[in-house]
Amino acid sequence: MPQAQEASAVDTGLSRLSLQQRLELQFEIEQFFYVEAALLDAREYRAWLDLWTQDCSYWMPIRRTVALADIDREFTKRGDMSFYDDDKKMLAMRIAKMESGSSWSEDPPSRSRHFVSNVRIVSIEGDETSVELAFALYRSRLNDDESIWVGRRVDRLRRVGGDLKLCDREIYLDQTLISATNMSTLF
Amino acid sequence: MDIQDEGGRANGADRTCNKETIASCFDEESGLLDRRIFADQEIYDQEMRNIFARAWNFMCHESQIPNVGDYFINHIGEDQVIVVRDKQGEVQVLLNTCRHRGNALCRAEEGNVKSFVCSYHGWNYDLNGDLIGVPGITPYYRKDFDKSTLGLVKAAQVDNLHGFYFATLDADAPSLHDYLGEVGRIGLGMMATNGEVAIVDGIQKNVIDCNWKIAVDNLYDWYHVQYSHASAGIAGFMDIAAILHPQNQMIMMGDYGHAISGPAIPEDMQAAIDAMSDEERKAIADESFVDGEAPRLLPRLKVARELLGPVGVRSMGHPNIFPNLWVATNGTQLSLRLPRGPYKTEIWWFTFLPKDMPEDKRKRAIAFNSHLFGPAGMLEQDDGENWSQSTRASRGVKARTFPHHVAMGLGHDEVQTDAASGQSRVETTISEHAQRWHYKSWTDWMLADSWVDLKANHTPAPKGRV
Ligand code: FES
Ligand SMILES: [Fe+2]
Repeated sequence: MPQAQEASAVDTGLSRLSLQQRLELQFEIEQFFYVEAALLDAREYRAWLDLWTQDCSYWMPIRRTVALADIDREFTKRGDMSFYDDDKKMLAMRIAKMESGSSWSEDPPSRSRHFVSNVRIVSIEGDETSVELAFALYRSRLNDDESIWVGRRVDRLRRVGGDLKLCDREIYLDQTLISATNMSTLF
Repeated sequence: MDIQDEGGRANGADRTCNKETIASCFDEESGLLDRRIFADQEIYDQEMRNIFARAWNFMCHESQIPNVGDYFINHIGEDQVIVVRDKQGEVQVLLNTCRHRGNALCRAEEGNVKSFVCSYHGWNYDLNGDLIGVPGITPYYRKDFDKSTLGLVKAAQVDNLHGFYFATLDADAPSLHDYLGEVGRIGLGMMATNGEVAIVDGIQKNVIDCNWKIAVDNLYDWYHVQYSHASAGIAGFMDIAAILHPQNQMIMMGDYGHAISGPAIPEDMQAAIDAMSDEERKAIADESFVDGEAPRLLPRLKVARELLGPVGVRSMGHPNIFPNLWVATNGTQLSLRLPRGPYKTEIWWFTFLPKDMPEDKRKRAIAFNSHLFGPAGMLEQDDGENWSQSTRASRGVKARTFPHHVAMGLGHDEVQTDAASGQSRVETTISEHAQRWHYKSWTDWMLADSWVDLKANHTPAPKGRV
């Protein structure tokens, strides 16, 4: 599990940027996430999918309550069981499901609000930038079914042409037992 | 049965939880099921006593606790239990509650310990539950203390089949082997037909606002698949029509409420498969295994025929080990439906794969299982709300007087028995036979005063017309 990274001797690529360049990159990335969140909240799933590279990966491990001594087992690893372990084809299938006219978990549709904050650029490698952030996803369904999912995200963005694209997302929920009937929304 | 003119039940909401009302909840003649069983706190409390505290409950697989001190937390009804491998290598099932003031010993979901130290006052228990340390025993208790009487409470019986551990709190319960009977053993046998298995790390857990029985009886329900899960087909995730085999359904029903319901390989097709070598079967299995596009008619290897018998081997259906353990996904997953009050159920998904599975196949199997069930599953996403809305509608004063209709196929089918093996089954179209068997058996459990009573007076598995 990647831990919060501290400023250290490791070359994160950030030192090669001027303050001005860092500010611009930070601004660009935050705006990217706000647009992304707006697309999800507006149920513009196809436009959202266009933000992802062809080779993308979207993953939410299972978290469990463990003792401090076992903390390296808190999250399942890649290749173990997970809640989401999707490539672009699988993400497209989730969207096709929602568009199918019989996706009852999203019809009537959920109302969602995606929040992102604490956005930190943690490393730059070639044309890819890794970002850590905190998220909150509020979902309201039917009359009184409410879910709040809060957690940490580790995203990798790739510069494709002039645009940023998402190529990897790791979603680390703060909840262990999922207190929801389902997770039919996208994070 | 007392039915009002408009079809509702008289006084349905007012009766107390006595034997007469329990006996009237499910009417096997009509297939009508009183909704109060999904809504009534008294009935729920009695389920905890009469069903969960008596039954053999699934704990975990041996691969989850391979080493001394490994533990896994599970539940027997509302009793939380620690499943732990002790210093002798034996699996112990201990109530997760300190004998001093009741605090939980383990607060993590799983882990490894040398002993169980209570976080409240520090009582220390050995892995087999013996109380071995009490802080201040001399100065505070002044030696007025007998540690030997204050060990952790143990399950009355613990046993396993194919490495899957079960426990019961009732010393009078029959052996696990007898409890499962043939149908339960076929169900668990499906987990063993792929060879020696181990858990894939990660148990998906979520909680649904539904009664546990709605979630359980749904696993027999191949009627909802085409409608509830149509979107998974349209999206191209799996060919829903190809897995259904609506005309080739088989139901096996066993004593104490175990059952298997779902698609089956027709006898002639099975004969052709039996004539193949294991190599030929493997080649076909490799093509179709975990491939959503392929029909779920998996040619099981020779060992499966030995484990499951000539009838059981043809089943591609869903077994439930009564009360709440679903053997799913071609014997690669188990799902527990854990009651948390009449209106709440935790759903746990365990995944087990053969130890010798080739890496690429294993990868595909894990991906398929992750994407199928669980709260984000392409199928299970759409189940929870059906169950929570059904449960909710059992609470309305008027709505609850109208029973559920569980009558599909009632009186139309015959139980057939294979002469050589003695295995019985119903072969028919999609039906609600297994659901009815579940509620008939539920009634037996709820009416019984003890295991002695249940053993003597439970309804034997159906024969003849059903
Ligand atoms: S409650 Fe456990 S030591 Fe007191
Ligand atoms: Fe379903």
